[in-house]
Amino acid sequence: MSVVVRRRHGVLVHAALLAAVLIVLVPFAWVIAAGFRTQISLLMGETLFEPTLASFREVLFSRSSDFALNFRNSLIIGTATTLACLVIATGAAWSLQRMAWPRFAVAGFLAWALLFHMLPPITLAGAWFSMVRSMHLENTLTAIILAHVTLNLPMALWLMGVFVRDVPEELIEAARLDGASTPVILWHVARPIIAPGLAATGILVFIFSWNEFAVALNLSIKQTATVPVAIAKYAQGYEIAYTQMAASAALSTLPAVLLLLVGQRAIVKGLTTGALK
Amino acid sequence: MPMMTRRTAMLGATGLLAAPRPGFAQTSLPPLSIVINNSPWFDGFRNLVDRYEKDTGNKVELDVNPFGGSLEKQRSSVRAAKGQFDVLIMNASWFTEMYFGGFLEAIAGIEPGFRLDPGIYTCDDTCFFDPVAKTMTAQGKLYSMPVNPNIPLLFYRGDLYRQKGLTVARTFAELEANAKALHHPPSIYGMAQRGARGPGSVSYDFYPYLFGYGGALFRDQKAGDYTVLLNNDKGHAALDYYMELLKTAGNPKAASFDQAEVLQAVATGKAAHAIAVIAAWPQVDDPGKSIVVDKMELAPPPSLPGLPTGPGLGHWLAGISKNVPDDHKRAAVAFFKWFQTAEAQIIYTQVGGTPVHKAAYAHPMSKERKYRWMQPMAEALPYAINPFRFPESSEVVAILELGLNRVVAGEVPAGPALDDMAGQILKLMQDKGYKTGKA
Amino acid sequence: MAAGRQGEAGWRWGLLTPALALMLGLGLLPILNLLAMSFFDVVWKDGQSRWNPVGVANYAAIPADPLFGAGITNTLVFALASVILQMGLAFFLALACSRIQWGRTLYRMAFILPLLVPGIVIGAIWKLFLNPDFGLLDQILGQFGVDPIDWLGDGQTALFSVVMVDVWHWTPFCFLLLLAGIEALPRDIYESAGIDGAGFWQELAWITLPLMAPTLAVTAVFRFIVAFKVFDEVYLLTGGGPGTATEVISFTLYQRFFTEDRAGFGAAMSIAVIFLVCLMLVVALGARSRLGRAA
Repeated sequence: MSVVVRRRHGVLVHAALLAAVLIVLVPFAWVIAAGFRTQISLLMGETLFEPTLASFREVLFSRSSDFALNFRNSLIIGTATTLACLVIATGAAWSLQRMAWPRFAVAGFLAWALLFHMLPPITLAGAWFSMVRSMHLENTLTAIILAHVTLNLPMALWLMGVFVRDVPEELIEAARLDGASTPVILWHVARPIIAPGLAATGILVFIFSWNEFAVALNLSIKQTATVPVAIAKYAQGYEIAYTQMAASAALSTLPAVLLLLVGQRAIVKGLTTGALK
Repeated sequence: MPMMTRRTAMLGATGLLAAPRPGFAQTSLPPLSIVINNSPWFDGFRNLVDRYEKDTGNKVELDVNPFGGSLEKQRSSVRAAKGQFDVLIMNASWFTEMYFGGFLEAIAGIEPGFRLDPGIYTCDDTCFFDPVAKTMTAQGKLYSMPVNPNIPLLFYRGDLYRQKGLTVARTFAELEANAKALHHPPSIYGMAQRGARGPGSVSYDFYPYLFGYGGALFRDQKAGDYTVLLNNDKGHAALDYYMELLKTAGNPKAASFDQAEVLQAVATGKAAHAIAVIAAWPQVDDPGKSIVVDKMELAPPPSLPGLPTGPGLGHWLAGISKNVPDDHKRAAVAFFKWFQTAEAQIIYTQVGGTPVHKAAYAHPMSKERKYRWMQPMAEALPYAINPFRFPESSEVVAILELGLNRVVAGEVPAGPALDDMAGQILKLMQDKGYKTGKA
Repeated sequence: MAAGRQGEAGWRWGLLTPALALMLGLGLLPILNLLAMSFFDVVWKDGQSRWNPVGVANYAAIPADPLFGAGITNTLVFALASVILQMGLAFFLALACSRIQWGRTLYRMAFILPLLVPGIVIGAIWKLFLNPDFGLLDQILGQFGVDPIDWLGDGQTALFSVVMVDVWHWTPFCFLLLLAGIEALPRDIYESAGIDGAGFWQELAWITLPLMAPTLAVTAVFRFIVAFKVFDEVYLLTGGGPGTATEVISFTLYQRFFTEDRAGFGAAMSIAVIFLVCLMLVVALGARSRLGRAA
């Protein structure tokens, strides 16, 4: 398409994209604003309102809320899950793709991973709970981390398999002729090549772990609850604490916004190369 | 198993150290862990627990959960070899599961001679259980302590009543007349009904009508007779009335109205009446959440002339888990002892709770405007009915929720639907081996 | 284990073992446990569980379960409708975005936001946003004289609304993937097409779509898998109602298994779902290999 045609369409295209951006952002903005309202002002649908910090104060500092703790838990679980997933998945992917397994074994393993990835996690939550207990890991972050690693491993394995296949065979051969062992090859030859893949996979795993609700709900207690579990609490029982729900939703969006501002490029690259390679 | 013996031995040792001493201040008691859900009445309970800690020096840890999450936590804890929570705060919808499953310790089994204070409402005798006969009557053993006597009451707009010169609705006919008189859609509906499908939504809204009509789900659960009465003449009359009220003075979209929506309608002045639980009352008088502050009044749910009011219990009981160390069980009993005193119950009221002791309701504060919910509560509580006295009730509730929700939504006509629900319940009870039959 | 003489074989196992252990221990074992449980009725007496064998009764009861049928149908409708809508929308947005000179980064940034937010928060946001009494959407529509619509409470619109929320949540994801795919297309083909005087639609039909087919397929499959597992949004938005209008299979499992605590029946239902997933997988892989042969 010529530059002239592009310019002519430019305005229209920008208008369409801006509309899409508005549709994405308006609900966020409105809900953040709702966090600054009183419940009755929200319920009455008033357009103008006097902002109050009451809901944020309730979410952050009231005794029945542990938002800071939830935040910390989500952060620890997300980070540990990501690291564990990357190490385990890279090792397994390398072994499967590069180390002369019979084809049926590789296909079988990957098919099992894919099938497992398709199962609703809720089917496994009950069984995991009793297993966690028998391992004496109840009420620990470790239990949730284990569950999250298992849930995300198939995806990580699948993605890392793609990246690992991209490491040129000649490089590995050359290193092997030089007498390099598998760990040396992995660290010095493969790692620099698959680094973008690791970032991509890591970001996806972190996001999925950060957002996971059903399993965390079943495996956590007050001290180990994650952000999604904490938010669900505002919509239970006899009333929906709309403004607190809005305030906590706004607060939990905050790290997302920070992540975006700091690492937008990496996230996009991660998401896209991760799924498309 | 050597580990087992060692643990038992250790328990014995700690038990000796924590031998009961008179009075409440048992400093050697371990911290008590209570699993509870986040309800509007939770703040009152927490405030009372604070007071208990201050008065006695004992420590209490509260594990606060979403409503459904609390049940799951309790199940996991009681089913494990060693329980995580000492005290379970159980809702009306699931305490039978804990009784029948053998997960709770009889309180007198921990401290012989422990008696329920005679002033405590026994909530249709549900705090008692006979583990052999599997019945809940005052003859059974005390298995739990009522902590919140939650029942539905009729919420109505006192200010509008005065304007129109209406009198409080005691009968269903009066309720219908009053609701029609105040029904001016879309600005205000005569009655807000809770018709949504949930873990206990539309069925719970329907019980006061069913019981107020003299109907019942089963013939005599206390005696183990589970003959299905849901679709007898009274049941049909109750559901017909419920639908008639909905049609003539009710809220549109009732099929998607759950408790939160009903209360939202009340708080925004869009409902002249609603039957809602007392636990939800505080928000109605909270200026940050309501525009009808000081305008709502309460009365027992209406009934047919000559019949008593029939609110369905949605109460909370505190049970002591069997699979926790003895000293923890004793810590629980120490808390119960303190909790059931008239003094503690009056404090409970003042810090935002709903007391379970008659003395609190007889206290002069019950005459104050702020506590205007207390007299209707005291009036209705003795007639409160526990809808289910067997552990598979959640499956019956699921049948009622789906069936009634579809009736409210207009998907199916009321009469045949009620017969169909009764048929499903009959089959379920037969499958479970209960003594049952058709009305 | 054949760890030994040759370090290679040891490493081959050593690297795979952690993944293998997790996939078997925390993946396969629970499923076998479910399979075993599905032939029993599990009741608790005296603090102990009793497993009463019931043969295939649990499986036999599944077809009659009103929630299961609705759950499967709704889940499939939900997943198909959302994925198709998302893919369509995202493709055209990506196409548009690939044609602009500046601002791509900004658009992308805005579009990533929904992806980083927990599903439960998405549910919370839209539960507020779609409220017929005070939600912004009905307020805006009200300006145009439209009566408030009870998006989530009306059986006619509830499933559509949940799909709408999912489209909002995930279209940006599809957009990012498709944009990356389009950007990676070889420029020279377009240039020669431009010289040949191909118009926008011809270009789309003859160049872009065929070249993008693998990307489109991968994105759609990925989305379908996640959509099939939908739980969080429904948990907060509708709880499966009204009636069974938005009952999805994850939620049915949650209700039967956890809320009603019917372990045996819930296990049988889980196994049935796993079987259905297998079936879909076989069909999908079969279709892929046939496509692969055709290409």
